Amino acid sequence: MGTSYIYKRDASRLFIALRENGKRYKIYIPKESSPVIDGVEQDIDFVEQEDFHYAFDWKGKRFHCELVSRDQNKAIIKVNGVEYKFSLESLFSYIRHGMIDKDSNQINENNIVAPMPGKIVDIFLAEGDLVNAGEAILSLEAMKMQNEISANCNGVIRKIRVQPGQSVMKDELLIEISSIDV
Amino acid sequence: MKKRLLIANRSEIAIRIIRAAHKLGMLAVVFQSDRELDALYLNYADEIIPARDAGNDKPIFLDPERIVNLALEHNIDLVHPGYGFLSENPDFAQLCVDNGINFIGPSPQLIRDMGLKTVAKSMAIKAGLPLVPGSDGPVNDAEAAKAFADKIGYPVILKASAGGGGRGMRIVEKPETIERNFKSASDEALAAFGNGDMFIEKYLQNPKHLEFQIMGDKHGNVVHLGERECSLQRKHQKIMEEAPSASVTPAMRKEMGDMAVKFAQSIGYYSAGTIEFIMDEDGSYFFMEMNTRIQVEHPVTEMITGVDLVDWQIRVALGEELTLKQEDIQIKGWAIECRVNTEDPQNRFSPQTGFIDKIHFPHGDGIRIETGVQSGSVVTPYFDSMISKIIVHGENRADVIEKTLKALYEFSLIGMKTTVPFCRTVLQHPEFINATYTTRWVDTVFTPEMLENDDDELIGALAATIMYASEYLQLSSDLPTYKNDNLNVWILNKRLNY
Repeated sequence: MGTSYIYKRDASRLFIALRENGKRYKIYIPKESSPVIDGVEQDIDFVEQEDFHYAFDWKGKRFHCELVSRDQNKAIIKVNGVEYKFSLESLFSYIRHGMIDKDSNQINENNIVAPMPGKIVDIFLAEGDLVNAGEAILSLEAMKMQNEISANCNGVIRKIRVQPGQSVMKDELLIEISSIDV
Repeated sequence: MKKRLLIANRSEIAIRIIRAAHKLGMLAVVFQSDRELDALYLNYADEIIPARDAGNDKPIFLDPERIVNLALEHNIDLVHPGYGFLSENPDFAQLCVDNGINFIGPSPQLIRDMGLKTVAKSMAIKAGLPLVPGSDGPVNDAEAAKAFADKIGYPVILKASAGGGGRGMRIVEKPETIERNFKSASDEALAAFGNGDMFIEKYLQNPKHLEFQIMGDKHGNVVHLGERECSLQRKHQKIMEEAPSASVTPAMRKEMGDMAVKFAQSIGYYSAGTIEFIMDEDGSYFFMEMNTRIQVEHPVTEMITGVDLVDWQIRVALGEELTLKQEDIQIKGWAIECRVNTEDPQNRFSPQTGFIDKIHFPHGDGIRIETGVQSGSVVTPYFDSMISKIIVHGENRADVIEKTLKALYEFSLIGMKTTVPFCRTVLQHPEFINATYTTRWVDTVFTPEMLENDDDELIGALAATIMYASEYLQLSSDLPTYKNDNLNVWILNKRLNY
């Protein structure tokens, strides 16, 4: 078995919660396991859900959350009696708002370029997929060897510039990635 | 025939007194105010008198004539005033006595005396209690003020003798500014009250508030039940109390306690009473005032002494002799009380009113809950914001701090904000833990940011995200290309596993 990565493919399950004080949480909610918060899978138990009230167990403590108010993507949540205000973004609205990769028009160091001339054998991911740092994205054949090219950050695949079977030059842009590591 | 005890109060203290009445085999009678028709305490009473006070400008609890008239109509033997409202109103006590109703508290004359600061202080001086150094009467002019201040030391506080509400009051840090301050304060007092007379007193910068609980009977016996520290205050009102105080040594406890007993005996005091002291950073202490009622924070004393103060209040009123002996009163462990007020500690403790969707109290060994509300109760703007008290008893101070913090994490109230997060913050603050906190803590140390913590913030982010995401994913799942199930799968799984 290969490495087990924390982010699964589905980028629609990744959200960004921004607090007024500038603090930011990247929250990935997998289908059947615990949430991944800022890249760390947290053993948080969801113990109660009732209208606008949630309760969680974490670190041996109970957390009572109550939705105090909600205005579009802004929410005030009371946690154990104290209010916190967040604005919420899906990964795509977050990228659209230019909050990630402010310089994305320029050269992005997270983009994948061909390290050597060769031929694309296979591409493992699709546009819009989440990718983990170190996870193989495509396989490139050069000098009769197949090389797996990996992502150098956690991110989302924005654009795939090549197709299987295509020959590429050294330093040719293969994949555009927006990093979600900040 | 069972004695009939009327409680001229509401909320948690009404329930507390009902419990005491039942312990003594009495019938507990309460008022039902139109301002609070579904109050919790009504469920505990044996008899309810409808107050029909909707049209009156004050609720029944502040209306001495109506209380006494209704008491007579309902054949009441004793009246317990609780705290607040008319509990320290000598005219009310007198009215009860004049109509042959047993008022549970000291004599009306003593309530009156202790309510007048100057009278109380002169009685305290007679009994040998130390007072904050200050001028006995008004000082004549700025020069006399300076001479006096030089003698007692700076800082000093100048107070208009007719003053109130902070007007005509100045804190003077150094001799250079006393003359200027004296003139401006005196002018201000003259303009505001038509009287420019000024007192001068030593100003304690970082004082602690200590108080001794005493209990006396009508036969001249008085005991003290140790002290409480109530330095934690906001807007000059207590919010957390502990007993005993870490700032009082056993020797001091004996000295101050004996002093309190001597004072109470010298004035012929009976019933429960509290003698308040202010303590300076150097450990010197001074008499402030005497409260002639049962206090909100009486449970901390009950927890560490095992003495039922309300029970004794009633028995003393009936003329019973105290069986408590000073040497038998032992302090066991440590107790903390946290007041649950519907106030927003993130916004200058502004009061909150509304509907309590759900309230959950902590349970466990050494945890005592006094509450005037339950799930479904309404908090109205007509009465005090204190809805409950959480009192915790531990083996020692460190133990009770830990236990209280745990208990507060177990508390939850859905529907309004309370002072509970504030109390949690206090319990974790070094100045509380090392017991150096003073009455200035809220003003000089506390900031609303201290209420926040990283774990709560992270969970808040998660909760906000789940609420947002469930809508977001719901929307996406309506699209034909959407390939995932609803988000709630994780949630349901977690719930099933729990």
